[in-house]
Amino acid sequence: MIKVVDVVKKYGDFIALNHLCFKVKKGSIFGLLGVNGAGKSTILSILNGLSDIDSGDIKVDGLDIKTNIKKIKEISSIIPQNLAFYEKLSVKENLDFFAKIQNAKKENYDKAIEINGLKDVLNQSANSLSGGQKRRLNIAIGLLNSPKIIYFDEPTVGIDPKSRNEILESIKSYKDFGITVVYTSHYMNEVAMICDEVAIISHGKLVMQESIDKSTNLEREFLELTKDV
Amino acid sequence: MFSAMVKKEFLLVLRDKKALAILFLMPALFILIISVAMRDVFTQKSVSFAVNIINHDKNSISKELVENISKQKSFKIVNKTQAEIILEIPKGYASSKKKLHVEIKEPLKSDEIELFKAKLLKIVASLKLKIITNRLMEFSSEAGSAVASVSLDSSKLFDLSYNKKKDIPNSTQQSVPSWIVFGMFFMITPISTVFINERRQNTLLRLNSMSVSWTYMVISKIIPYLLIAQIQAWVMIWVGMFMVPLFDTPALSLNGSIFAIITLSFALSICATGLAVLIAVSSSSSEQASTIGGILSILLGAIGGVMVPKFIMPHFMQTLANISPMSWGLDGFLEIFLKGGGVISILKEFVYLSLFGVVAMIISVMILNIKMKKGLLGG
Repeated sequence: MIKVVDVVKKYGDFIALNHLCFKVKKGSIFGLLGVNGAGKSTILSILNGLSDIDSGDIKVDGLDIKTNIKKIKEISSIIPQNLAFYEKLSVKENLDFFAKIQNAKKENYDKAIEINGLKDVLNQSANSLSGGQKRRLNIAIGLLNSPKIIYFDEPTVGIDPKSRNEILESIKSYKDFGITVVYTSHYMNEVAMICDEVAIISHGKLVMQESIDKSTNLEREFLELTKDV
Repeated sequence: MFSAMVKKEFLLVLRDKKALAILFLMPALFILIISVAMRDVFTQKSVSFAVNIINHDKNSISKELVENISKQKSFKIVNKTQAEIILEIPKGYASSKKKLHVEIKEPLKSDEIELFKAKLLKIVASLKLKIITNRLMEFSSEAGSAVASVSLDSSKLFDLSYNKKKDIPNSTQQSVPSWIVFGMFFMITPISTVFINERRQNTLLRLNSMSVSWTYMVISKIIPYLLIAQIQAWVMIWVGMFMVPLFDTPALSLNGSIFAIITLSFALSICATGLAVLIAVSSSSSEQASTIGGILSILLGAIGGVMVPKFIMPHFMQTLANISPMSWGLDGFLEIFLKGGGVISILKEFVYLSLFGVVAMIISVMILNIKMKKGLLGG
């Protein structure tokens, strides 16, 4: 589904991505790990057409990112770590706005509300929602265009364990709809709980990519591979 | 897509009570306060001095002096406690070389004192001329007539002409356009706050990942403020027409074209929103944007004749004022309110203001693109 080959991205003298390579299988949940500044946000920006690459190749659903970014944006969605909506608008006004921006279908709109359990708070101001509800609204907005790929950038930061579990369960359920998920987090247990495969990047380079099974001690491997950072 | 973005901007600004107070209440209050406070500074009516006369001399000449002073509109004869000036005629004034004694009780400006002296001098000189004429008549009617023909009336001594086109506004005509212009630049605060929050929360990046271009985003921010600017301008005009007169201050009269007011307000809002967006994209926090926006507004207002009217500035300051967009807006409104101007007469101001706004927006879009490429847009 996603093929990143030899990608280099520099900001002045700083090398954010250093010949990065990885592959993400269609319909899988792919964990992307790395310490702060490792290059996770940079690759997410590039995959969402928010930044260009200096060299290398990226294909998303068979489409070259250099020539088909508009089509790639249509089938992708990013759930930013921050609550990227308008707190002064109601839940419904936020969903209506982002739905109209993307010409979202009514069925996708209803599905996003249902999956994220927002039906009862539709007319409530986004500002008055609980932390978990705000996170769910943030995610619901990302589902409006019925994406084939969803990028989650640390979606469970700062929420209670109950809301976190609800969010993780809903992300796991996306597999049933054939959605590919790229998931970044600092919580190893979350990644181990929901991901099929994990990649660890350090200094903009891939240092490990492997499937996750019960015997994987992710935390130990992560600390081992990033001990020089 | 565009209508949704415009609707969103409308909802955000309408729910921001502080922004609405800043946009409407503050300039309206300024108009009221400044119009009333500056009423007498701008007034063109003749100055009147409250004078108390103490006459110790019972001579007919002294009595005539008192009568002549009393007849003058410039002098209002009052009792001692109400007097700004006490004029004392000493005993034997008419028959000796004794001088009048003038005591100024209230603080008067030097030009007012000079004016008082000139007016009193004219009365005293006229009376002395009359005395001399009467004495001369006793010896020579020819010499007496020659002196009698001397007039101290300025219209008989010199012709005075002045540029009637260069009208000077009254306090309301000056303060309403000033605070309409300044009030529109208050937009900087709400626009930059929304914009920086969008940037900080990654909403801008999310919108961009949904293929919404920066140009669309910038333009969608202008539309609600074009309408708000129109409402703002007409509310301020209403305050000038109907609220200000309640405080015994001249009302604003709409001499010019209503369409010209709409056109000028439109150009001003493009200018103000352009500057607001430019400040918002260049700042790293809403606090920074508010500070820069506030300082810049005050500076542009001070230079541009909002705080101090341009016509009382020194010549070089009047020239400097032309660099401020607020000065362009103010000149346009004064052209309409004072000279009854139409769209053609404010065309220059319209073009300058619109161009300023459009250039600011183009630079903003360029900055956004550069920041995104450098990865500086995220929260």
